[in-house]
Amino acid sequence: TGGHTTEILRLLSCLSESYSPIHYIFADSDKMSEAKIRAFEQKRAETFSNSKFTLDRIPRSREVRQSWTSSVVTTLYSMLYSLPLTYKLKPDLILCNGPGTCVPVCISALLLGLLGIKRAIIVYVESICRVETLSLSGKILYYFSDYFIVQWPDLKEKYPKSVYLGRIV
Amino acid sequence: FRFKDSLAEDLRRADLVISHAGAGSCLETLEKGKPLVVVINEKLMNNHQLELAKQLHRDGHVLCCNCSTLVETLQLMDLSALKPFPPGQPEKFALFLDKVVGFQ
Repeated sequence: TGGHTTEILRLLSCLSESYSPIHYIFADSDKMSEAKIRAFEQKRAETFSNSKFTLDRIPRSREVRQSWTSSVVTTLYSMLYSLPLTYKLKPDLILCNGPGTCVPVCISALLLGLLGIKRAIIVYVESICRVETLSLSGKILYYFSDYFIVQWPDLKEKYPKSVYLGRIV
Repeated sequence: FRFKDSLAEDLRRADLVISHAGAGSCLETLEKGKPLVVVINEKLMNNHQLELAKQLHRDGHVLCCNCSTLVETLQLMDLSALKPFPPGQPEKFALFLDKVVGFQ
C-alpha cells in the first residue's frame, strides 16, 4: 500500500540487472500501487532491456488497527492465496517492508523452507517512519527474517540483531 | 481541493508548507527542499506517525506546533535555522543486498 510501495521502489532503484525477474505481491484492495510499479518497471526497462516482472494480488491480511484475534483469521485467509503463489514463484529472495501483506507471504516461504521445497532468504526493511518502535509486521518478522534492516539508530539499539545502514529510502 | 494524485506541482511552487504529521507529506516536502511547519494533532497522540515528525524536529529539519500555537509559530518562525534534509541512500542497500545474495 501507498507509502510502503514508494519505499520499496526506492529500495529497488539501485539494484543491478541480476535481480530479475521481480515478482510484486500486493493487496487486492490496493488501487494505486500497480500504477507506481508499472511506471518504475518501465524506467527500469530503459536501463536493463531484459528486466522482467510480474504482479500478483492477495487478500489484504489486516486493516489498520484491526484487533489481534481477527487479524490472525484474516492472515490465515490471505495464506490460502499466498501459499500456492509462493509455491508457484519459488523465490530465492523475499524483500518486504512492512505492510500486512508481507506476513502471509513470509510465513508461506518459511513453510516451504521447512518442508524442504524451497528456501528463500527473507530480508525485511522497516519503514523510515519507524524511528522508535517497530510495526506489527516488524515485531513478528524480526524473529523470522534472515536480515532485518532498520533506518534509525534508536531501533538498532533496541533490536540488536537488526542491521543499520542509515537512511536508505 | 480535497484530493489530488500528486502534490509535486504545488510543492514545487510553494515557499512554505504547513502540513499534518504524515510521513509521506513530511518526506516529500523535505526532499523538495521546502521549509516545513508540522502541525501535530494531539488527539492522535498514540499514532506512530508522530515518531518521524518528532525526530525530524529534533534533528532541526522542521518546525513543529499544534493547532493552537500555529499562528504564533508562523509569526515568530526563523526558517533559516532549518537544516537541509539529505536524501536517503538506496545504493547502500544495494551494496548490502549484493553481499547477502552473493553477487559481488
